[in-house]
Amino acid sequence: MNVVYSSPFVPPEWIAAHGARPERIRPESGAATRSMAPVAGMCPYARAMIGEVLASHDGEVAVFTTTCDQMRRAAGWVALEAPAPVFLFNVPATHATPAARLYLDELHRLGRFLARLGGSEPSRDKLAAVSESYDDRRRQLRDALGILAPREASEVIAECDRNERPRLQGACCSLPHGIPVAVIGGPLMRGDARVFDWIEEAGGAVVLDGTESGARTLPTPFDRRRLRDDPVLEIVDAYFGRIPDAFRRPDDALVAWLRRELAASGARALIIWRYVWCDLWAAFAARAGELAGLPVLDLDVSGDEGADRRTANRLQAFLEVLR
Amino acid sequence: MNLPPERISMEELDLLCERRRASGASLPAYVGPLRRHVAEGDRRLLRLQYDASPAAMRLWSFLLTEEERLHAARAAGVKIVGTMKDLGTVPVLAYALPNVVAFYPDGAWWTPCLMELSDGLFRIAQLLGFGEAFCPVRAMLGAFVNRAHFPIPDLLTCSAGAVCDDFSAIAQCVESLGHPILWWEIPHRRPPEPDETAVELPGGFSAPASQVAFVRSELDRVRSALEVLAGAPLGASELAAGVAQANRVRRSLAELRRLAYTTEACPMPALEMLIAEMLAIHFCSDQAETIRVLADLTEEVRRRVKEKHGVLAEDAARVFWVNPVADLRVMNLLEDCGGRLAGTEFLFSHALDPIPEDLPPMEALARMALADPMVGPSTDRAARIVRDARAFRAEAVLVSRIPGASHCALEGAVIARVVREELAIPVVEMEVPPVADSMMPTLRSQLEALVETVLERRKR
Repeated sequence: MNVVYSSPFVPPEWIAAHGARPERIRPESGAATRSMAPVAGMCPYARAMIGEVLASHDGEVAVFTTTCDQMRRAAGWVALEAPAPVFLFNVPATHATPAARLYLDELHRLGRFLARLGGSEPSRDKLAAVSESYDDRRRQLRDALGILAPREASEVIAECDRNERPRLQGACCSLPHGIPVAVIGGPLMRGDARVFDWIEEAGGAVVLDGTESGARTLPTPFDRRRLRDDPVLEIVDAYFGRIPDAFRRPDDALVAWLRRELAASGARALIIWRYVWCDLWAAFAARAGELAGLPVLDLDVSGDEGADRRTANRLQAFLEVLR
Repeated sequence: MNLPPERISMEELDLLCERRRASGASLPAYVGPLRRHVAEGDRRLLRLQYDASPAAMRLWSFLLTEEERLHAARAAGVKIVGTMKDLGTVPVLAYALPNVVAFYPDGAWWTPCLMELSDGLFRIAQLLGFGEAFCPVRAMLGAFVNRAHFPIPDLLTCSAGAVCDDFSAIAQCVESLGHPILWWEIPHRRPPEPDETAVELPGGFSAPASQVAFVRSELDRVRSALEVLAGAPLGASELAAGVAQANRVRRSLAELRRLAYTTEACPMPALEMLIAEMLAIHFCSDQAETIRVLADLTEEVRRRVKEKHGVLAEDAARVFWVNPVADLRVMNLLEDCGGRLAGTEFLFSHALDPIPEDLPPMEALARMALADPMVGPSTDRAARIVRDARAFRAEAVLVSRIPGASHCALEGAVIARVVREELAIPVVEMEVPPVADSMMPTLRSQLEALVETVLERRKR
């Protein structure tokens, strides 16, 4: 059983421990046309995700999350259109203890859902062992990220997300030179990692990938002792408790992460990667300049064919101003 | 005074007001000519048509003097709670306390319409980065910045989780401007699974008992904050009394809606019905007066029903309206085009359904909060619309899109699909901006086409 999803708040080790194959995907922008969803006012990423799931094969299961309004409603759209099982994972926006308990309950509910579809409920030891293997893989990934060029790093993360063994062998330091910039924001679609090349071509160097598809949304490394004692709680803490994002209320954790990582990266400017109609990142972009104390490019992307040139031009203009 | 029912201009309504006062009728102090609000900038009032009744005059005066009441409350030392997004739940808690009033800063979304954009609220929001891609509720940001409308509340609450992204993002900006918010979680309502205990919610939806318990615990956090603010306990007896009082408003509205939406000769225009329904959310900062205003309006409607006096042509197309309009004038336009309201779902059916009084109050309020049509699947909301449209014998459904609102993109399509499948009646979606003057010809064409379709279908 293949379980496709796109949110970083869905722990793949949880799915794997339940006997399924987790696959965090980056939808292809062209898939949006298959969604049959309205275009006006609709997030291109959500449309593309709907299209990907509707085109999925027999035996595939989709997991959506409530981390944004449009993806929450996309799950309902898919449920209307497709016979494939869809699970809507309720990720609370608030941080208080009751919210963490709700996230934990949702993990268990996902587990029962998978069990009903042929999966199996893991023992504590099995869950801990599977989680350790994922944690190991992420550790290798983190080690490699520091020596990979931004685009390669993003693609390696995507391979890891797809549950493929990432091509880390032979990775060598090929860090770009240029004006150091940070990119933060929403998720990338398939092939969107080329935006890092465009930034380099325009004279920039991405020193921080804080998109939803980047290292920002990796869970924190597991505490192995706690993992063995109570793997579920450790997963809750590493994912729900630690991943900073724009949908959280308040969004203090994202603000703190941004300030810390910008200072560490030495970025001289900030690029916000967001889709048109994405209110959460558009709103964050509005505050980002003041929060970061840096020049900001609010890069709204539509995912349309032909829009790439506009995106590249905007990046070029922004970097020219920074020179 | 028995006036023939009709729709009249603001000048005519003001004349009616002056005659009432001159006749020695006892009127609440806030009732007065609407031109005083035009003088303060509410220019849209000049372009609206009103129901010709003292009850409507009182309704409008009550609505338009809310900010004055809030400022008077502040001056009198009353604690002010700004409740955001939940549309109907937290005010029930707040009004159960002495010396506390609650209002929705969200209500500022109608200010740009009323002031025909002269308020500058959108401009301030734009300067803060919230342009037209966001729902008109962004006007709230401007009101927090210029402080020219509502007083800054002593306590701000906002539901988070299964809410519109626009609102959540705008509220986050409000907090970043230095207004701390008590965020409480409202989870996405889902159907109970086979192994879960199901709880029936007001309005007919159901949810797992675990979700109700969670919301109850979140509302307990709100209750605690309110107790601290008021310096008074909010125990079960106070809450039960608060729920009973809120239900008086809801019962009154239920009767008003039943009469207005089912009587053959439409006894109350759409615009006044929209305003009346809105009172259920927050009581316009005076719960007791809300009850009296609604009683007046219901009495007027009863009289018209008894005398078979309608305000519109008897063959008006019966339209079920989904979502509130950002431009109030469009409610008049529906009637100008030959339509009438036959049911509504203005995003807050949970604020209209009676709150269970046979349950512990916090349990009842948690169930009510989870019954919010916006926190569940769009198919749930569509099912409720189907049920109500059927009950009100609607001949068409109109989904009024809110510009920029995150929920509107997919939700309208889901509602349209379900309504067509279940009721086989026409459905139209149209987007209404806060000041729709430039779009009036287009909106008129859409509405006329809808009415014509309905009238044509009657011949079959």
